[in-house]
Amino acid sequence: MTSSSACDACREAMSAALDGEADAGEHARIEAHLAGCADCRAWQHDAAAITRRARTGAVTPSPDLVDRVVGAAPGPRVRWRGVAARAGLAAVGLAQAVLGAVSLLGAATHAHHAVDPLEVLGAGMAHATHESAAWNLALGVAFLAGALWTRHLAGLLPVLGAFIAVLAVLSGLDLVAGRVEPGRVVSHLVVVAGFLLGLAVVRTVPRPGAGPTPGARRRLPSFGGGPRPETPERPATTAPTPWERESDVA
Amino acid sequence: MDDARITALALRARDGDRAAAGEFVAATQAQVVRLLAHLADPSVAEELAQECYERALGSLRRYRGDAPARSWLLAIARRVAADHLRRRARRPVAPAEPAEDDRPLGRAPQSDPAESAAVRDALAALDADRREAFVLTQVIGLSYEDAAAVCRCPVGTIRSRVARARADLVDALGEPSAQRRSG
Repeated sequence: MTSSSACDACREAMSAALDGEADAGEHARIEAHLAGCADCRAWQHDAAAITRRARTGAVTPSPDLVDRVVGAAPGPRVRWRGVAARAGLAAVGLAQAVLGAVSLLGAATHAHHAVDPLEVLGAGMAHATHESAAWNLALGVAFLAGALWTRHLAGLLPVLGAFIAVLAVLSGLDLVAGRVEPGRVVSHLVVVAGFLLGLAVVRTVPRPGAGPTPGARRRLPSFGGGPRPETPERPATTAPTPWERESDVA
Repeated sequence: MDDARITALALRARDGDRAAAGEFVAATQAQVVRLLAHLADPSVAEELAQECYERALGSLRRYRGDAPARSWLLAIARRVAADHLRRRARRPVAPAEPAEDDRPLGRAPQSDPAESAAVRDALAALDADRREAFVLTQVIGLSYEDAAAVCRCPVGTIRSRVARARADLVDALGEPSAQRRSG
């Protein structure tokens, strides 16, 4: 007679063997035990039969979830939009850099004649022009760099957003007061275009992450309490694809 | 479809390829629904699977391909099932059968109904940890190692849980020769 703990150990090993997860040593020990234990021989037979039933028995016809969770839009579109936005951003960056360089040259050639008529906060008019030209040139370089290294782009957007917001208000006031020519204000639209394209690029480029984290947590809609907040029939053209939503960030 | 191919699809989907995302879902959905039917409840498995994919596709950009995408996805499914059970436990009154009217009757599990019903009931009666280990390795077909990755536990734990689940099933399903067991 064999002890029941020996039987338990043998049955665990037989279970592993049924799954192809037992090594040669275990197979030998199983054989040795089975030679003297009729109960475990019966158990092995039953366990094998039940394993077959469980593996083949519970077949559930599976629904097709593809359209519901991925949407029906054609595949390459997202990528194309990303490429187009990057190319646009590079073009805008080039334009902005040229604008900045031109105004820098203009400022440099005009600077030596005439004594500055006005001085604000310790900077003559010429120096203020230098500052603004340098800033415009830097923005152009930033757009170009952002088009190239997209992962740094997101950090630029808050700066640009603030700049555009303040500049828009000031430009409006200056236009009304006649302190600026409309042409000069129009040239600011290049920055706005760069900002919008940067936004588009950031939305289409996959973000760097911290590796596989199945633990994405999210506020869950409760079942049985009315319709689910996310309807699968969202228009695929404007809505972000499901995997672009921010709501899944753990 | 093998794990390498599924992982490749997941990586392409992460990079914005929606066709690959669709293939990824198509290749894995049967297993996700089955796992959820066993771990949570067959009547809501489809709904939970949809939730699982929404979570998975939402966090796909943090997936780097270190682990097989199938295990990564099944780990999310496992969490969805756990969340569902927790939600249901928090609600004292049994929730109404969800969306019974828009689910075709043909969705019910089939293929020798009596046989599979007996197996399903026996599986449902198992201890939760044992059922999880058994379903992952037998019904879904994962290796012990992959199942351990999904459950975030040692391989030895999966091994002993599968063996205990088998022993419980032998007792429950009453194979004729089991009567001869001394226990």
